[in-house]
Amino acid sequence: MLSVDGTITRFRRDLTIAALLRAALMIVALSCVIAQPVLGMHQDWMPLLLVVGGVWVVLSYRSMQGTRMAADSPSLIAAGEFDRAESHIDAALKTFSLFRTAKILSLHHLAVLRHAQNRWRESALLCQALLAQKLGNMQGMARTSLLMLADSQMQLGDLQGAFGAMGRLYRYRLSLGEALTLQLLQLDYGSRIGSWESMLQGIGGKIQMCELMPPLNAARSQAMLGLAAQRLNRLELARWLRRRCELLADPREIAAGRPLLEEMFRQPN
Amino acid sequence: METAPPFLDVNSLLEASEPRPRIPFTQFLIGGFILAVVLSLFIDRSAQGGQGEQLLQTMIGFGLMGFVTWIMVMGYLSARRLRAEQAAVGAVDELVQLRRWPEAGIMLQNMLSRPARSAVARAQSLLYLAMVLARYHRFEDSVKVHDYILEEIPLDDMTDHAVRLGRAMSLLREDNLLDADRAIAELRRTSRGVESAGLALVEIYRDVKTGHPAEAVEMFEKRQEVIRRQLGHRAADAWALVARAYDFLSRPADAQSAFENATILQPLGELLRRYPEIGPLTEKYKPAPAPAEVA
Repeated sequence: MLSVDGTITRFRRDLTIAALLRAALMIVALSCVIAQPVLGMHQDWMPLLLVVGGVWVVLSYRSMQGTRMAADSPSLIAAGEFDRAESHIDAALKTFSLFRTAKILSLHHLAVLRHAQNRWRESALLCQALLAQKLGNMQGMARTSLLMLADSQMQLGDLQGAFGAMGRLYRYRLSLGEALTLQLLQLDYGSRIGSWESMLQGIGGKIQMCELMPPLNAARSQAMLGLAAQRLNRLELARWLRRRCELLADPREIAAGRPLLEEMFRQPN
Repeated sequence: METAPPFLDVNSLLEASEPRPRIPFTQFLIGGFILAVVLSLFIDRSAQGGQGEQLLQTMIGFGLMGFVTWIMVMGYLSARRLRAEQAAVGAVDELVQLRRWPEAGIMLQNMLSRPARSAVARAQSLLYLAMVLARYHRFEDSVKVHDYILEEIPLDDMTDHAVRLGRAMSLLREDNLLDADRAIAELRRTSRGVESAGLALVEIYRDVKTGHPAEAVEMFEKRQEVIRRQLGHRAADAWALVARAYDFLSRPADAQSAFENATILQPLGELLRRYPEIGPLTEKYKPAPAPAEVA
């Protein structure tokens, strides 16, 4: 199994080496072109230029191989084949890449894998390492990393960190799927700090969003809303939400890992 | 005077969205590289120095770098267009999920009216087109799009199953029961014993439509857990249909309970739009009351 701390160190080192190599190749190529007419150095620079071109092509090809290796991992993670996903990510991270994108993508896949494995500390560390990079036009990856970071920190009991990560998400325009995940996280956070009133603000819209979630998340979100309604003595709403949850999933499954929710299902109908 | 094609005209959209062959930039790059090598060798052998040779070498060097830059710019632009296409497909996905059908239809009309850049984006767009057509009760067109996808586009098992389910549902809504029955048999064969809530729902709908309520109830009871696990709020569809089956079987208490479950999970109006067959239930049974905050 990949050690996260070692992987992050190696990732940073590889990015630095790749940046230096890219700069060196470009400087040499440019020098070959301008050496004769500008600097008056009368030698044949063409072979050197061709060597630089060749090195660039070979390294680009290796980078592409790394990207291809990493490309399979999301589907493997989704299928629960964590070991195979890990070996693909490991290979991709160990392949030298001239371009940052391939390395960043591989590290992101490792963060997704650790999150899927419920290894919250490692997932949080990887997300932090990713977010420390300039992600440029990989804004989708930044958003996903922040969502995973918020969830991991919440599971680790670091509510302040989770709040910070969720706050950073307001800088982005979220996709529908991301907005659904954020709502679930916000409800989880709200229930942990007992912010019942704010949880029920805009309840109609929140319930419509819940209806678009996968069954277990939909049930869990509505159970949290139901708990808030119960705490605020809005019993008709609480009963209606509990009934919905029971139709969507097994109450034990809904409350798994969130003992607070057990209270919701203990109440008589 | 040229007239605009009708809105979401299936034949013209299928034809217009076919991807066109691309300019082979990589081949140009390799060709240019080889040309530069040959030219430089030729100059080495034939020229004996002098300004002409230097000028030519410099020109080749600049030309080569310019060429590489051009290829990189073209690659960047191409990737940006591809990303824009993917983003548009994502936007249609969201509109479909949010049931904003007119906007989804307009976006699909725009996207599919020109050659797609990637076959995957086109396949996804066609899937959404089939859904939008079904929403507008254009079931024949929806079946046509499903057939095209199944015949022309290679699909993974899960997508293949989803497309076949959509097709079977459209055939049922079109009252083409014979073809629907064949489609269901095909679905059973291709699902290879994997439990599918979608297939159970289609079968329940078929049984309700063809007046076999006992079979519908039996199927529902057998598959209730998988329906709950896989369909989420769409399990309301199965509850509504089984309520109709209970009603056929003169089991009013069960019908009332199932109807309540259906209307707890989904608004009645949406269920009536999807299954006009459950219309008579509204006269006999009460939907679940929604709390004032969410009514």
